[in-house]
Amino acid sequence: MNPFFAVVGLILLTSALMVLPLVPALVELHSKSDALPLSVIQQHTGEIRFFADGFRSYMTGLQPALQECVKSGTHTTGTMSDGSEYLVLGRGEEALFLPFRERNEFNPVIIASGSDLLLPSETNFSKDIYSAGSVIGGTNNRYRAILAEKDIRLGRESSVMRWVHAVGEFSADPGCQLYGRVSSDTGIRLSEECSFLRLNAPYIAIGPDADPAQNYAEIPGVETTTKRLLHDGDFEIRADEVFLGNLVVRGRLRIGSGARVCGSVKSDKELVLEPGASVEGSLISASIMQIGPHCRIGGPVIAERTVLLQQGTRCGTMQNPTTVSAPNIQVEPGVVVFGTLWARDQGQAVAKL
Amino acid sequence: MIYALYVIVSVICIYTARHYWFTLNRLFGFQRHPYIDIDTADWPPVTVLVAAHNEEKVVANILSALMTVKYPADNMLVIPVNDRSTDRTREIIDEFVERFPGRIRPFHRKDGKGGKAAALKDAMELVDTEVILIFDADYIPGAGLVKQLTAPFFDPEVGGVMGRVVPMNCGTNLLTRLLDLERSGGYQVDQQARMNLRLVPQHGGTVAGVRLSALREIGGWNDTSLTEDTDLTYRLLLHGWKTVYQNRSECYEEVPETWPVRIKQIKRWAKGHNQAMVTYGLHLLLGKHRASLRERIDGTLLLGVYIMAPFTLVGWVLALGVFYQGVAPLHGIVAILSVTAYAAIGNLAAFFEIAAAVRLDGSRKRVCLVPFLILGFAVSIFAVSWAAVSQVKDALTGAEFHWDKTERFRKAAS
Repeated sequence: MNPFFAVVGLILLTSALMVLPLVPALVELHSKSDALPLSVIQQHTGEIRFFADGFRSYMTGLQPALQECVKSGTHTTGTMSDGSEYLVLGRGEEALFLPFRERNEFNPVIIASGSDLLLPSETNFSKDIYSAGSVIGGTNNRYRAILAEKDIRLGRESSVMRWVHAVGEFSADPGCQLYGRVSSDTGIRLSEECSFLRLNAPYIAIGPDADPAQNYAEIPGVETTTKRLLHDGDFEIRADEVFLGNLVVRGRLRIGSGARVCGSVKSDKELVLEPGASVEGSLISASIMQIGPHCRIGGPVIAERTVLLQQGTRCGTMQNPTTVSAPNIQVEPGVVVFGTLWARDQGQAVAKL
Repeated sequence: MIYALYVIVSVICIYTARHYWFTLNRLFGFQRHPYIDIDTADWPPVTVLVAAHNEEKVVANILSALMTVKYPADNMLVIPVNDRSTDRTREIIDEFVERFPGRIRPFHRKDGKGGKAAALKDAMELVDTEVILIFDADYIPGAGLVKQLTAPFFDPEVGGVMGRVVPMNCGTNLLTRLLDLERSGGYQVDQQARMNLRLVPQHGGTVAGVRLSALREIGGWNDTSLTEDTDLTYRLLLHGWKTVYQNRSECYEEVPETWPVRIKQIKRWAKGHNQAMVTYGLHLLLGKHRASLRERIDGTLLLGVYIMAPFTLVGWVLALGVFYQGVAPLHGIVAILSVTAYAAIGNLAAFFEIAAAVRLDGSRKRVCLVPFLILGFAVSIFAVSWAAVSQVKDALTGAEFHWDKTERFRKAAS
């Protein structure tokens, strides 16, 4: 063989082997099939009502049929422009008697009601439900999503898979499981043994006796300060003591009964608020937080593991709503949170902690 | 010579292990986002500083975006810090001031020391809110970003906040695509892993925030620093303040589209970082302060990232020297096995990190470009090494650092 061709062949072969791993890169560089900027959420801000607002807009197409059915007191069925089947009820109580209400039957239709909607028990509603009035659900139901222009009440042991929004009050009977988002423009009331993930309303009350309107004596204001105490190790604020400023503890923190912190608090380990303690700012723990009974927190309550809220504790106020957030949250009856209660992994209303 | 090589190889191995630790943490570890769920609160007053030096091409975009963010308008004041601009920046800012009365208070700086830190330092006379957010003029914040960056300040231990930067012009050419990959690795893996592991997330000086009382405690902006963000990170750390990273607080930026601009940018970063290393390195590692042991170690390694480039070059030279001297380190066979093992695993560490980041971002095809990162790596290693050499020369001759603004490529808003 000609040595020249052998050398050229060797060079070409070596070059080809070198280029081979770069072929996918060269193809992508040329084709730019994945060259757009990463999608960054620019417009909406994770609003809890995002899906409810979208569904309300979607339902505008059904308004003429709704009004017609309300006027005539009848019901009608049809198909939306995207192919979804719907059932429009002029009278909400009709849902109890319509043929589809067989136990455990799968109901793949959007249900829209022009008045208060009464739903049968032991039924799976696999499409969204809209009511121009209230929604009163039977027991042991499964819902995908519900939007009501008035109140919503879910029967015992019911569950919601995606979202619920009530313009009026939302309430859930014992044993309900609320996956996804639950919001109300008025208030949310959960019974014992309800589980939840993300709740938002002017008030969130646990149990029948929790009273969001109950007025507490105003604590006299003190001069605010940005002064910060940073403490390595465990720390305790004694009972009935007043602490001015922000407190950062790199160990465990115990705030004694009736003590008051005029500032925000952070602890790297367990944080315990004994009965009647109050914190005017935020309450942050990199671990577990136990609050109550009858404590008052002004700012956000954030724990990286668990928050336990005991009876009578109030977080935020009607005028200054706040957020309580942790992977796991357990709340006793009598707790009121004004604003957002957000459990990343699991939230549970329990009879007793 | 052989012992110097051992030291260099050992340090490189530490950084390799660090890359793998961070990547595996992001892939399989617990992810910390403690403040991202704060969506209802009594939002505090905030000042948003927009650093602008000859930014006529981009400043209108960020001011428009800031006027539409979802934050109580009464509690948010935007201060465009017009730093000695000679183009239409001032005119554009003043138009916005007229359009949005009471919401924008301009700070027109006509003279004084150059550099972003010096401009921010002067602008502080207008700031009286506890929370300060900082953006460069080429950034475009989304509607929820101001709330997201403010939320961590409810934690009284937090002194600084850093969001994620996402290139918006990534599809322009090979360089922008490589920078897109680098940013992905740097934020999606590096920064978030540091956040997860309670190490030292770095303040980036833009898409970022700082607490006024913390800033005052540490002595304000350091206008002698070329990278005020790195400087700020370490001064906060040494004073017991945390800097936190919010991976989901994303903001578009413009990355350099030409190699000379990129080289200039990375040289400035390298010099600033090395400056911080000399200033704070020893004190951070061994001094008496409030940082934890893991923060001391990680902070020191972070300070050393840019000096690793000349360090690696020296290592290459030493390795060649050892080879031609006929020295067989570690009895030859051990050396061969070590080099082989490192070539198989160690060399890939940074690329593995970036590939994992791109995967976490949900991208599919752009990961194909990872082999081209060797090009960016080669350019960076020489540019950064040259910056280190010139920095030493400047120090010996007493030359002053000067600050170079990164050129913009966006067309001016009409």
